[in-house]
Amino acid sequence: MSDLLVELSAKPWFRQTVKNLGLPLPTPQALRRAKGPAEALPLEGRTVTAGRAPGARLTDHLARAVAAAGATPTVVGTELPAPWQAAAEAWGRPVTLVAPEAEAAPADALVFDATGLAGADELRRLYDFFHPRLGGLARNGRVVVLGRPAAERDPASAAAMAGLEGFVRSLAKEIGRKGATAHVVFVEEGAEARIEALLRFLLSPRAAFLTGQPWHLSAAVDAPEGNDWVQPLAGQTVLITGAARGIGAATVGLLAAEGAHVICVDRPGDEALLGKVARDVAGTALSVDVTDPNAGAAIVAHLKAHHGGRLDAVIHNAGITRDKTLARMKPEWWDQAVAVNLGGVVAINDALLADGLADGGRIVCLSSVAGIAGNVGQTNYAASKAGIAGYVRALAPAVADRNIAVNAVAPGFIETRLTAAIPAVTREVGRRLSALGQGGLPRDVGDLLTYLVTPQATGLTGQVIRACGGMFIGA
Amino acid sequence: MATRRRAKPRRAVIIGGVRTPFLKAFTQYLHLDTIDLGAAAVRALLEKYPVPRAELDSIVWGGVILPGAAPNVGREIALDLKLPFSVEARTVTRACASGLQAITDAVAAIERGDSDVIIAGGSDSTSNAELKLPQEVVRTAGPVLMGGKAGPMDYLGVLAQLAPFTALIPKIPKIAERTTGEVMGEAAERMAARNHITREAQDEFAVRSHHRAAAAIASGRFDDEVISVRTPKGDAVHADGLVRAETSVEKISRLRPVFAKDGTLTAANSSPLTDGAAAVLLMEESKAKALGFTPKAAFRSWSYVGVDPADQLLMGPAIAMPKALERAGLELGGVDLVDMHEAFAAQVLSILAMLRSDAFARERLGRDKAVGEIDPERLNVHGGSVAIGHPFGATGARMVTTMANELVLGDKQHALLGICAAGGLGAAAVLERVG
Repeated sequence: MSDLLVELSAKPWFRQTVKNLGLPLPTPQALRRAKGPAEALPLEGRTVTAGRAPGARLTDHLARAVAAAGATPTVVGTELPAPWQAAAEAWGRPVTLVAPEAEAAPADALVFDATGLAGADELRRLYDFFHPRLGGLARNGRVVVLGRPAAERDPASAAAMAGLEGFVRSLAKEIGRKGATAHVVFVEEGAEARIEALLRFLLSPRAAFLTGQPWHLSAAVDAPEGNDWVQPLAGQTVLITGAARGIGAATVGLLAAEGAHVICVDRPGDEALLGKVARDVAGTALSVDVTDPNAGAAIVAHLKAHHGGRLDAVIHNAGITRDKTLARMKPEWWDQAVAVNLGGVVAINDALLADGLADGGRIVCLSSVAGIAGNVGQTNYAASKAGIAGYVRALAPAVADRNIAVNAVAPGFIETRLTAAIPAVTREVGRRLSALGQGGLPRDVGDLLTYLVTPQATGLTGQVIRACGGMFIGA
Repeated sequence: MATRRRAKPRRAVIIGGVRTPFLKAFTQYLHLDTIDLGAAAVRALLEKYPVPRAELDSIVWGGVILPGAAPNVGREIALDLKLPFSVEARTVTRACASGLQAITDAVAAIERGDSDVIIAGGSDSTSNAELKLPQEVVRTAGPVLMGGKAGPMDYLGVLAQLAPFTALIPKIPKIAERTTGEVMGEAAERMAARNHITREAQDEFAVRSHHRAAAAIASGRFDDEVISVRTPKGDAVHADGLVRAETSVEKISRLRPVFAKDGTLTAANSSPLTDGAAAVLLMEESKAKALGFTPKAAFRSWSYVGVDPADQLLMGPAIAMPKALERAGLELGGVDLVDMHEAFAAQVLSILAMLRSDAFARERLGRDKAVGEIDPERLNVHGGSVAIGHPFGATGARMVTTMANELVLGDKQHALLGICAAGGLGAAAVLERVG
């Protein structure tokens, strides 16, 4: 499952040869991924350059997020805003102030607070901040733009805010060759403080394969007590389906590394594999067929028997493909795909929401970029995965009063057993048709799944977030 | 049911303390290890304060570089001094806060009712640090050498495994963090940069430390606390060996930085590797009265904290000192003296900057306002570790002794102590005058 082109591209001679000969070969940047569980200072040794448009509202939280996470800040402007001075003192991170017209210095991340943009003409601030600084953006760098949700704003300011999304999606594609990524975060009134945890995640190597994404931070769903950057899942019980292999198995390890007790679920018949995954993290193995009408009841019974009847988060990772064009598809193939990918998810959630999932809990479902974009031979799969998107958007507000957050993750091309079976040429095309020019690893999806069940993801709910490396298809 | 009169809570009081002269490592104390130095201090303490031996309950000792063959230094001191076998002992280690740790452990034991009379202190001899065989050698040779029957072929097998023998070279110990690998001076160098502490400010601080220590020595202020030590060669050491009365900012500004190429930390504004010991006599208050001793001070509070060693390794006192003040029910303005361990001038100055910052107070201490500005006239009035030296385990007991005496001599009420330590630890205590 290794990607030869990524490996070769890490070698300067290869990049030079491709460049000199003008070969039509992409040289994707090997992504820097996190080593080990979440750290107290994830940005230690990184430089973050911050800018703001007039009327910016998040300076306070941006300054604290950057300095407390260990980054070395540079602020673009003519005078240092007081929150940056305070953050520098409190966290011992001296801030460098640079004039807007100063030559760009190298930076690991560029963060721009655009919350104050009042009209379309002010979009020019984006150009003014990023244009001179992109050259200094490091490999595996990060771009984050902060805005306000366009809804319920006056039309001119709504235009500016919506414009941020197009800007970031395009920029993501331009800087992807460097392994750099771009995001826009729309912060609702009242959700300002939540930007700190999300920035910590987006600027870290834990978000290596995520790019071109809009994130909506809402004030809905109360934050849990405490904010432990290290071991955020300590004392929590998390259940994940499809845990025996691939994305599921990778995620089990990541969840456990953050302190969670993981209940690893997979279908009967995979006991040996599942047992090993669970044993490796001192978790619990539970064999359940998610399409069994009694699956939900069986899980609830297991929770009562072994975990005090309480679950903090569930990740619906189990999924199958039964590909065939609709004309040739047998009815049972349709039924199986929809039952595993969507029907089982709904039924198990119904059971857990009635009895088991704690208030303040987290639900994460797996959608798919293919589900969003549509694909030949995948009417059944796409219907189920697009169904997930509709499901989480509807379920999120329905359970918000219980402080339960519901989200979906849509993986793009991930190097797994499933994609290894794709014919070589098709596989190669699948990998390269993305901003980062490469497929993701199971742990890339796992990093996002893990983040979404931690308290640090408070404010994210009802969203479908792609882990796709900026795949060129799909909305 | 008859009402019982509530007993007055027990209080531990400081009768007094002494220390050996502090000498640069690998000089005159070369042949005195940490047990010898500790024994010298305890012997002198008992000469100065002749406690009936039968009244002595325990020794609580602090040390950092512990002798591998006899890590319970406190017990070895008691045995070497022929104290009654009933004088039990333990040895505690909390990096550079070990000496203070030993003393607060003793206070807690007295106040809990475990003991009435305890000698607490600490010592260290960098000159006698043990060179450690690499773990690989122990793992390979251990089973054969320590595991029972072994024939010639087993020994040959071990030799073959250890070839080419480069792994046999013992590693020179250095003061580096186990988790980060960073040498303490490098961490202090980063703190200097992060808190805008200039070379000039560090040099000025270091020179002041030397001048104040020199003045204390010259005036005889330390005569009451510093003992004489006789070395195995027969020489007597009467005075501290590291204090430089004649140093100046101009002189030390010429020194090269030692931890970073463009750094600001030099040999002159850092504490040196030092050999020495210090000991303090503690008693339950009524016991002191019964035995006819006059107490000088008592502990009003203390606090030990931990911070991320990868962040600002030596900032612990900036958290611990406000905590100790809070526990004592005091604000900074309510203390007359502040004594901070000077691992590096840069570390002390960084902590002072944190304590005077409102932003630091809000974010890191949950306070509305800064802890406050520490008046240089009240801080380290007789110098500190940069000038006097820093035998790791002894420093806490040195500070307690000097501050207890200062409260009495200067007619003061409260002293605040702060010590930074390896591992991201911080320690603080508030002393109050008794009587």
